Amino acid sequence: MEDVYVLGIGMTPFGKHPDKSPADLGAQAVNLALSDAGVGRGDIGAAWVGHVFQGMAMGQRALYAAGISGIPIDNVENACSSGSTAIWDAALALRAGAYDIVLALGVEHMTTAFRGALAPDPSDIEAQLGLTMPGIYAMRAQRYMLQYGVEPQDIARIAVKNKRNAAMNPLSHFKKAVTLEEVMQGRLIADPLRMHECAPISDGAAAVVMVTKSKLKQLGGSRAIKLAASSLRSGRTEVGLVDMTVEDLTWRTAEAAYEQAGVGPGEIDFAEVHDCFSIAEALRVEGMGLVPHGEYVARVGKGEMDLNGILPVNGSGGLLGKGHPLGATGVAQVVELVKQLRGDAGERQIENAKIGVAHCRGGKAQGVEGTACTVNILVA
Amino acid sequence: MVNLDEAEVSPRADNFVIENGKVRLRASKCGSCGAVFYPPRSICPGDGTSSMEDALLSSAGTVYTFTVARQSTPEFRTPYVLVYVDFPENVRVLLPFDGSEPPSIGGKVEIVMANGPRQENDELISMPHAKLGL
Repeated sequence: MEDVYVLGIGMTPFGKHPDKSPADLGAQAVNLALSDAGVGRGDIGAAWVGHVFQGMAMGQRALYAAGISGIPIDNVENACSSGSTAIWDAALALRAGAYDIVLALGVEHMTTAFRGALAPDPSDIEAQLGLTMPGIYAMRAQRYMLQYGVEPQDIARIAVKNKRNAAMNPLSHFKKAVTLEEVMQGRLIADPLRMHECAPISDGAAAVVMVTKSKLKQLGGSRAIKLAASSLRSGRTEVGLVDMTVEDLTWRTAEAAYEQAGVGPGEIDFAEVHDCFSIAEALRVEGMGLVPHGEYVARVGKGEMDLNGILPVNGSGGLLGKGHPLGATGVAQVVELVKQLRGDAGERQIENAKIGVAHCRGGKAQGVEGTACTVNILVA
Repeated sequence: MVNLDEAEVSPRADNFVIENGKVRLRASKCGSCGAVFYPPRSICPGDGTSSMEDALLSSAGTVYTFTVARQSTPEFRTPYVLVYVDFPENVRVLLPFDGSEPPSIGGKVEIVMANGPRQENDELISMPHAKLGL
């Protein structure tokens, strides 16, 4: 099997883009990624394009705007993991030897597609009973507080950390740090979660050019970063009365990635994880086995997950600070890992960053523990 | 009897019966692995077998967790309280809560009919709710 490398990255600013169509945003990310990779449009063998609310043939529309057509284009919907699933698909095709240069793109124009709280699909029975995405994470936060003896302001520190990091990221939706007092004075969205603890409605796109090791040798690029693992799993049917603070889906996905990469959780230097809500970051990092269950929130309080801490988490600002254009999110996480591993992260640069992990987990469907989860491990 | 075909094609929020004044949710129990599912299914989502039997859940349970939803989609009138209720039949079900103050985790609830939080033409819909037990 061929080893896979990320050769080029591109990302638009995340935020509100009323003057740009989703195709414009997608094309902008693709153009940046091609130019970063130093390859031409004609070199791309196939493309996978992740999006959730963008309607028919988003991939073809975006690539047309970037001057690419005729090649296999696969539109990928996997809730918030759509973009990272596109990377998983692209990696499979490269490993199988079907192509040697491919593109993975994620794009979402949320401000025109959505308003208010995100909810499961309207046909889902829990959506019909009033469940929203903030609602499900708030209910998990209530259990976390009870089981591990933490208070809402302890969880809120995750939002303070991520918005502080986002203020150092020129592509972030939010560019202003917030204090714990400001987070705690924010409007309640679903108790105990307040406004700053919920990811914003953002527009944006991110793209990566991926190549096989043999193609990389031919091209001779020195800025390529190895995609040592890419794993995808779905949530299992929930039977009985399970502990909602434990993410079996996250663990199974991470475990597969650790095995593929040949690295253990103790060797991970930094992580980008799916912090759609403040509490989600705790559930994910614990779920990946990076911190024991129930300890994450206290460790954030001690600064261990800061950019200069022992395990920096969401140095990009995460979904809470950088923004969350659903389809683009998982690709943007990998873009951040590449920047860090190249030493190109500027003010956010993590010292001695050698092994980074990106975790993306999305959606809610009644009956299963989660919908889709991806874990990508990149090694410098 | 539960019309399983209907339930399977379109899981509905009104999968319940009222029996001797008690509201009971309609569920399925797998004759093979014993797992209980709400709403009813004709194929077991746990083991994939087709030996599902009708089951009615108890009319009371325990609050596993809760929240107050203060922002939602337009079909719902905010704020409203949501709870996950653990039933003695070993199944957890999401329900709206009848009451403006949320219950405590571990609180005993009974299942009652009440209006909301879903609305149609500005009228709240009657649906099963959890309510603090007497």
